[in-house]
Order: sequence, then C-alpha cells, then structure tokens
Amino acid sequence: MEATATPQGLRRTRHALDRFGDKALYVITGSAAVLTLVIIALIIWKVVEGAWPAINKFGISFVWSATWNPVMEVFGAREFVLGTLLTSFGALLIAAPLSIAIALFLTELAPPSVRSPVGSLIEMLAAVPSVVVGLWGIFVLGPFIRADLGPFLHDYLGWIPLFATTPQQTGVLAAILVLAMMMVPITTSICRELFLTVPRDVKDASIGLGATRWETIRGVIVPFVRGGVVAGITLGLGRALGEAIAVTQVIGNSLRPLHFSLFEPGNSLASQLASSYQSAPTNIEISSLVYLGLILLVITFTTNFVAQRIVHRFEKQTGAR
Amino acid sequence: MRKTALALVALLLTALVAVGAAGAKTGKSQATVINGAGSTFVSPLVSLWTPALGTAFDYTLQYSGVGSGAGITAITNRSVDFGASDAPLTADQFAACNGCVQIPWALAGTAVPYNIPGGPARLHLTGAIIAKIYLGQITNWNDPAIKAVNPKLAAGETLPDLKITPVYRTGNSGTTYNFTDYLAAVSPQWSSQIGRGQSVNWPAGVGASGSAGVAGVVKNTPGAICYVDTAFALSNGLHFGAIQNAAGNFIFPSIRNVVAAGATVKSVPAGNELHIVNPDKTNPLAYPISTYTYIILPQKTQNAPALRKMVFWALTQGQAGKYTAKLYFAPIPKVVLVASEKALQGISS
Repeated sequence: MEATATPQGLRRTRHALDRFGDKALYVITGSAAVLTLVIIALIIWKVVEGAWPAINKFGISFVWSATWNPVMEVFGAREFVLGTLLTSFGALLIAAPLSIAIALFLTELAPPSVRSPVGSLIEMLAAVPSVVVGLWGIFVLGPFIRADLGPFLHDYLGWIPLFATTPQQTGVLAAILVLAMMMVPITTSICRELFLTVPRDVKDASIGLGATRWETIRGVIVPFVRGGVVAGITLGLGRALGEAIAVTQVIGNSLRPLHFSLFEPGNSLASQLASSYQSAPTNIEISSLVYLGLILLVITFTTNFVAQRIVHRFEKQTGAR
Repeated sequence: MRKTALALVALLLTALVAVGAAGAKTGKSQATVINGAGSTFVSPLVSLWTPALGTAFDYTLQYSGVGSGAGITAITNRSVDFGASDAPLTADQFAACNGCVQIPWALAGTAVPYNIPGGPARLHLTGAIIAKIYLGQITNWNDPAIKAVNPKLAAGETLPDLKITPVYRTGNSGTTYNFTDYLAAVSPQWSSQIGRGQSVNWPAGVGASGSAGVAGVVKNTPGAICYVDTAFALSNGLHFGAIQNAAGNFIFPSIRNVVAAGATVKSVPAGNELHIVNPDKTNPLAYPISTYTYIILPQKTQNAPALRKMVFWALTQGQAGKYTAKLYFAPIPKVVLVASEKALQGISS
C-alpha cells in the first residue's frame, strides 16, 4: 500500500496496466481476424463435404458438362457457370461506367444543393431487398423488354446474334438489367466517397494550370483513386455473382444449353441453388447443387484475387510517379 | 436524465414480469399447437380447415405453404409436426425421413391456363398437343393440330398467328410432378426423353418461381400457356383448357370430373403412392390431370394423439363441400379413405 502510493510505484502499476491493455487489444482484434479465417475455412470444408458425393460421381468434368437432368440424375455445371459470368459481367459493363459517371457528377459537377439529396437517394436504392427488385423485374421490366426495349433492339440490331430471337419478358437480358440496377448504388456510393478524398489543392492546381474540367477528371481525379474504383466495382460484381433471388425471378431458369440470344431464358449458379436446393428430391441432386456452390465460391475468390492484383498494380504505378 | 431512464427500465421489467405471470396462468388451458409446412397447392384448403379445427378440438394449426419439397425437408428435420407434398416421396426422401408415412388426404386437378388475346374462352387441348408444345414441336397457336381439335370457335374467336410460350415452375414442385406424370403417360416421346419428376429438363419454354410467378408471367405474356392448380387459375382470372381424356371427351377440371378421376383407384398400394393421371376410357368424365396430395407424418411423434385426431377430421369432415368445393378440391373416395385411416393408426407416441 505504501509502495503504490509513491509516484514511482504508481508509474509502475500504470505501465503494467498499459501493457496489459495493449496485450488485450492485440488479442481481441487478433482473434476477431482469426475468426474470419476460421469461418471461411469452415465454409469451404462444409461445402466440399456436401459436394463430395457429386465430386466423386462426376469428377472435375462436372464443371464443363452441359447436362442438368434431375430425372436421369445426370448433372453438370457449364450452363450455370456461363450464365453467372454472362449476367454478372454484362451487368458490370452497364453499371461500372454508369456508377462512375454518377459519382463524378455528384462530386464534381452538380450544384451543391443537389449533391447530398441525390446521393442519399442512390444509397437508398442499395437498401431495396432483392426480392422486391425481382418483383419489379417481373411486373415492370419484363413487360417493358417484351413490348418496347426488346422489339427496338430486335428491329435495329437483330443482325447481331445477341438480339436475334423474339423478345420475351423473362430472360438473360432482364437478369443483366436487374443486376446492373443492384450494382449501381453500391459502386456509386464507393466511387463518390473516393472522389471526395482527392485533395482540393490538387484539383485547384490542375484547374490553375489551365486544364478543363474533363482534363482534370481524366488526368488528376481518376488516376488518384483508380485502385479504389476497381475495388468498388469488385464489390458490386461480388453482389452480382452471388445474387440469387432477383435473378431467379427474371432469368427464366432454363436447364437447356445457354442460347446466344439475350432474349432467351438462361440460368445462373446462385439462381439454380436458390430455386432447387430446399426441395431437391434426391441426394445426388442436393450434392450436385452444393458442388455448384463450390464453383461459385471459387469464381468469387478468383475475381477478388484478380481485383486485388489490379489494385496493387495501380498503387505501385501511382507510387512510382 | 439518468433517473428517468432507470425508471423506464424498471417499468418495462415490471410489465414483462406481469405479462409472463399472466401467460403462465393461462398456459394450462392453452390450445394444442400443431405445426405443418409444405405444399402450396393444399395450403388454401388447410387454411379453411384451421378455424374449424380450432372450434372442434381447440387445436391451433399453423401451416406454412413453403412448397412440397421444403415441406418434406421440414418434416425430415422434425422442425414441424407434419409435412405436406403433392408428389409422393422418393426412395431417398423416405430413407432420409426415417420412419415417415405418407397419407393421401386431398384430391384436386391441375388446370392448363393460357393467354391468347382474342382466343377461345373454351380451348380444347389433347395430351399429345400439350406434350408437343412443351417439347417445343408445336410453337404457334395457329398450328393445324390445335385447329383440328377446335373446329367450332365462337363468333369473334380465333387461333391467331402467335408464338406459344410454355411456362413451367422453377425448381422442384409437386404440381410439376403431377403435370409431367401426365405428359409421360400420354406421350411416349416425353416418357423416354424427359420423364416425370418434381423438376425436369424442360426442352422449351421459360421458368417462373411459384404458382404466383407462373400466373404473373402468363398474364403478362400473350401466347403463354402453363399449369397451376385449378383454384389458383380461377382466382387469377385465367382461362384454362378442356383436356381430352382417354374416352375422347374434352373435360374441364370441375369437381365432378376430378371425383371421377379419383374414383379410378381400385386399391391402394403399400406405400400409399397413387397415380390417377390419364385414367382409361371406361371413365368418360375423368379429368386426366388430377392428383392426390399427401400429408407426411413421422410414425413416432409426441403429438401423435392430436395429429391422429386432426388428420382423421381432415379425411372425413374436412372433405365436406363447404371446405373443398370453392377451392376445387374433390372429396376423396372411400377406398382411399380406408387406406388413409389404416395408415393413421400406425402413428403413435
């Protein structure tokens, strides 16, 4: 008691406490990080375990085999893989430029009174549940594609195989548009935050040197945040790759080989999982569906990995300059 | 400030305790709760039964129409007291369910609605034509085969030059089982190339999820055709076809005609699996796409006495016209009733 009352004793206790606090912080944050790793490892383990009977039966050729026939119990993933890639990257092609444009407008060009209301409206779009987006796809977008957009594309661009068949209200095109609509708010809000991080003086310097708005955007703002934009687009892409419910509602869910026309029905990995997993009548079908999930997992990891490489490369370039 | 917050918390706690005590007091006389899940097809009938079961036995029946397949999963996991399915259990499902019985407890028809602007209100169809439409071989409503069975159209009605869009249920569905069971019975090509199942590899058409999704697509797509239960087609204001049966008559899924189809069961096999699609030509009134739908019960269950009472009521009083008629369910025939009651005796706690 006497010892701790002296200043020196107090300091010693404080030191011990501080050290303990730092240790505790390290352990707590560290175990949170380890927990993510453990969860991912458990997910992979359970998915592989569930898919094992199908892996055993169909082998790796499952990935590029085109037949999915629940009656004959022959299963293959090719159409779903193609459908997932086609719809997600199709949506990316539409959503990425759109999101960057919206974000640039909101941060650089729009009058200040417009910026935050429109910005929060776009962020609200991200909160719309996917089943509602899907219903909108069925009742609004689908009929619009069949009666207006589809015939227009078919009449003027029908010579391109993508628009060669009669427009229908459910199909790959509807899925692409629905996914694009779901990607835009995510990517836009990330890009908006990023563009806001570009320092005022850098932009002013560019304008001061006589650059136009467009030259400033192209030469200063975009290079400054390139890596982040790629990361934001990847997040949006992740949402598109894994989106199940909304896609199921509009894609037409065919089990046939994917048609080259965007008006024809297709399918995707997540959509097939969502529509069939809960009620699959045979064990081998359940296992094959889990195998689809495994493939989706691999695709998601790969795209994230590639995106990280790109971000890394951009950062290096920016650093070198 | 802090005091107010504390007072509020105290008040809330007191209220909670009071509610808890009240709950405990009335707990003794509370109704038996029976949970079920499965078939969307039988779901409207179950919701008509629910209040009647409440007054008869003081049972509270909670049923979720999550689809036949999901219902089978639910009873397999024992997360409900009973499951309901329109398709009989597969061997894998029986094994997984570990001592379950399926009991036929309702009978209904699957209608074939269509959307032809300016088309006939009473379209005649044959099994062969429907199979060819779903095989992608008949693709236009002005096809000679369709014209041949619709020789006399009312004034102003035409079979237009319009692409046929066959619509099917996405994922696994008991209605799909019934429909493909019928197509396999009437078309050798369907039987050998596609087969019957809760989900099949459709050679043509587009998928939509759930009866509501299918009806939505058909309503919005001129030229579409689909299959849903009769009550659903009626409540959505869809026209549906008269289907030619084996006797050569064009038949609507009215109760009388579904009863005629149900009556073609002469004996019930051991597993209670019944097929009444496309009955032979000695049944001039039989609607050819009819099905029994099943309740799935575990043989050993704590709730056995209540479940036995409930199902017995459903099989007998529950078949009365005041419940079944407006939903286009037909009362089950005696031979099936006897078999179902026998199976019910095997349920114990």
